[in-house]
Parts: sequence; C-alpha cells; structure tokens
Amino acid sequence: MKKSGEDFDSLFEKKYSGLKIFVIFFCLILLAFTSVYTYLSIKAVRDRMDLAKTQATSDTSVDPTLIDLMKDKAWVESRLKMASRDSIGLSIDLGQHTIQMELKGVVVMKSRIRDYSTSGFFKRMDGNVYFAMFGSPLTIQKFESSIEKNPFKIVQAPKSAEEAENAVSKKDSVIKENVFWTVKLDRDFELNIQGIDSVSESQSKYKLGKGFEFKRDLKNIVNSFEHILKFKKPTYTPEILISIPENEAKAILRALPRNALVTIRI
Amino acid sequence: MVRTFFIYLAILFAGILFFASMVLFAIPAIQESDLVLPEITISQNETGEAGPSKESLEKDINKLQIKLDKLTPTDAYIIINTSDNHFYLYKGKQLIREGLCSTGKNEKLVSEKGDNTFYTPLGVRRVQRKQPNPVWAKPDWAFIEEGLPIPPPGHSSRFESGTLGAYKLELGNGYMIHGTIYKRFMGLSVTHGCIRLGDEDLEVVYSTMQIGSKVYIY
Repeated sequence: MKKSGEDFDSLFEKKYSGLKIFVIFFCLILLAFTSVYTYLSIKAVRDRMDLAKTQATSDTSVDPTLIDLMKDKAWVESRLKMASRDSIGLSIDLGQHTIQMELKGVVVMKSRIRDYSTSGFFKRMDGNVYFAMFGSPLTIQKFESSIEKNPFKIVQAPKSAEEAENAVSKKDSVIKENVFWTVKLDRDFELNIQGIDSVSESQSKYKLGKGFEFKRDLKNIVNSFEHILKFKKPTYTPEILISIPENEAKAILRALPRNALVTIRI
Repeated sequence: MVRTFFIYLAILFAGILFFASMVLFAIPAIQESDLVLPEITISQNETGEAGPSKESLEKDINKLQIKLDKLTPTDAYIIINTSDNHFYLYKGKQLIREGLCSTGKNEKLVSEKGDNTFYTPLGVRRVQRKQPNPVWAKPDWAFIEEGLPIPPPGHSSRFESGTLGAYKLELGNGYMIHGTIYKRFMGLSVTHGCIRLGDEDLEVVYSTMQIGSKVYIY
C-alpha cells in the first residue's frame, strides 16, 4: 500500500513539474508585457504632449499674470466666431460650471454642470498650449451616443379610415433613458457628456453595468487588451467628462449638428 | 502534492490579476501622474513679440462682449426646445413666460401617393404673418394619414375651423405656431412640424411676438 502511495506522489510530481515551468514562464511573460505596455503607455502621453507643443508655436508670448484676461478674450472671441454660423454651437465654461447651446449668439439653453473631470494633460498646459487648444472654436469630428441622435420613425399610411382609427400611436417622450455621448474634437481630444440626475443614480448605474463611466471603462479594457494582443502601440487621448441633468444631455445631443463648433474655457 | 498544485494555481492567478490591475488601473493612473506629465511649456525664445497689456486686453474684451450682447434681440423672441417640448418667451434677456408645447413627431409617412416627413426644423426663423381665428387648409397628407381619399384642391372638406386654436403665427414653409384641440398631447412630440401651444400661452405669445420676431428652435 505504501509503495503504491509513493508511486502516486512521484507521478504527481512529474506531472506538475511541467506546470511549474509553465507558471514561471507565463508569469515572466506577463511581467514583460506589463513593463513594455507601461513604457509604451507613458510614451504615448509624452508623444501627445510633444504634439501639443509643436501645434502651439505662437508669435506672441503669454504673460502668466494676464492669462485669465486672455482666456476671457479667447472665450468671447470664439463665441462670436460660432455666432457667425447658422447652426447651433456649444460653449462650455468649466470654471463657471456652465454648458450652453448658442444659436446666432443667443443662448438658447443653459445648464449647470453637476460635475466634471479633465485629464491631467489639460492641467499641465501653459498659456501658449492653452490658446492653441482652446483659443478658437473646436469642430466636432465624430459623434457616438447611447441613444439615437436623430430618431426617425417610418410609418406606413393606413389604407382606410377604419385602419387609421385602429392604429395606436406610441408616444415615447417620457421614456427614461441612459443618456451619454462622446464627441471627438478636431484638436485630438474627447468631450464626454453624461446625463445624471443624481450622484447616487450614477453610482447605481455603474454597479448595474449601465451609464457612461462603466461603458468607458469597459471600452478601455477591451482596447488595452486588443492593443496588447495585436502588439499595437497604446494611444492616449485626453478627455473632458461633464455630467449634466439627463434631459439636458439629451436635448443637446439631439440639437447639435454633426459638425458643430464647440468653445471651451478651462 | 495537491497543496503544491494549488500554490501554482494561486501564483498563476496572482500573475493574471497583477497584469489586469496594471492595465486597468495602474497604467491609466501613471499616465495621469505628474511624473509622466511634466509642464507643457514653450520656452520664451520660441515665442516672439511681447503680449498685449492689461488695459488693451480689458478694452478688447469689453468691445467683444458688447458685440456678442448685441446679437440677442432686444424685442420679443421665443425659444423652442423640441427635445423636451418646452417653450421660453423672452423680451431682451427677461423671461416672460415658459411652458409646455408640442413639436414635430419625427416621422416619415410612407404611402403610394408619396412620402411625407414630419419634423420641426431646427434653427432660427421669423414670424412672417399673424392671424386670429385661423382656418386650417388641410394638405394632402392629412387625408393620407386618416386613410381617406384626397379631395380636389379647394374642396370644402379641406377647410377646418378651430383645429389651429385661436391664433396662428406663420414661420414660413408651412410651419406655424398655433393652438390645438388635442390638449392631452401637450408636452409630447406629436405634430406634423408645427409648434402647438396651450390656449393661454398662445394668447401671450401672440400678443407679445410681432411680425419679424425671431423664433429659435433647438
């Protein structure tokens, strides 16, 4: 009995020596991947910053003591440029916590920003880089949203008065939706707007796997793994995330043209 | 031996966990840290002339602000929110009245006699004509929608009194601000493109808005 027990142990040992090598090898590979990926991720940030620097070659120097006044001037100037267009534009003043839609210079909708966050990238800009980035209106290049931007229903005309009477029309204006949308702006950063009516609601949405932040994190995970598996260089896109009431997030999404101008003041 | 197996398994699991947490949390945090993000500055020799003075900046801002403020009409204008079906009536910067309205249902009606799209166009329009006690001249689509045969132009069945309420303000291209008999639909997107108001709101809007007054629709 004892002999057969020893045989079993040696068999087990042989079988798992392969496993031991595999575990060590696998962990080393993971470590190598992590190091390389970390290095490349940092490089992506630095490359983005270098790009911002090259785009910010200004003819006039920015006096740091006058930066707020210069920001004020750029803000009003940008809004005037937006007003020269016939379509609706978006202006965002993070300092004042306001987001507003403007049409020909008239503020048609103004909303209080409940919460916002910006990438560290924006906090490290000096005056020249700031004005290269926000000194004139930005243009929306791409829209992505959790709800349809311009919903349009196709209805077949009834063939008789009886059929028309029997047709039940469905009104959807009161449907509660998860509203969040992302726009890619022409100066290579993202503006994310999420509709939240309260912080607790936003947190519970996250737990339920709904809401913007959950989807964004999920997207980032998928992107990261995709980059690793395909041996692709990671990318870095600075972002501004703004939380406003849900109905206002929806109204802005529906009203903004696909190539709308956006003015931002940080 | 079974213990060793579980130790290997735990190491494997810890390795995967480490990798995942690095990718998910640590690397994004490193990307945002001060170590990675030095100040993005341009050295002075890269820039040219000295910037404007404080006085000239303040003067410029004032001038620009006045120019921007002048874009807001000083007389009456109305703002229509088609997403929430709300209206806001202003005189200059002062809000005079706000309330519910009904706007276009964003629908395409497909029929053998041609397609019709029903939506409220966004942008700026002006009041072109005002009229009390309007009579609705029903267009073809009104009959198509009801499954009825289309009568010839000018036929008596095309004209309805009361459907548009007590007043109408024409905005061009067949779009109007008017009243309604379907008050239960107020606040919903149900119209064929016109803007419907409740009786009392319409009364105020009609008396305040003049021909040429602007209508901002978003």
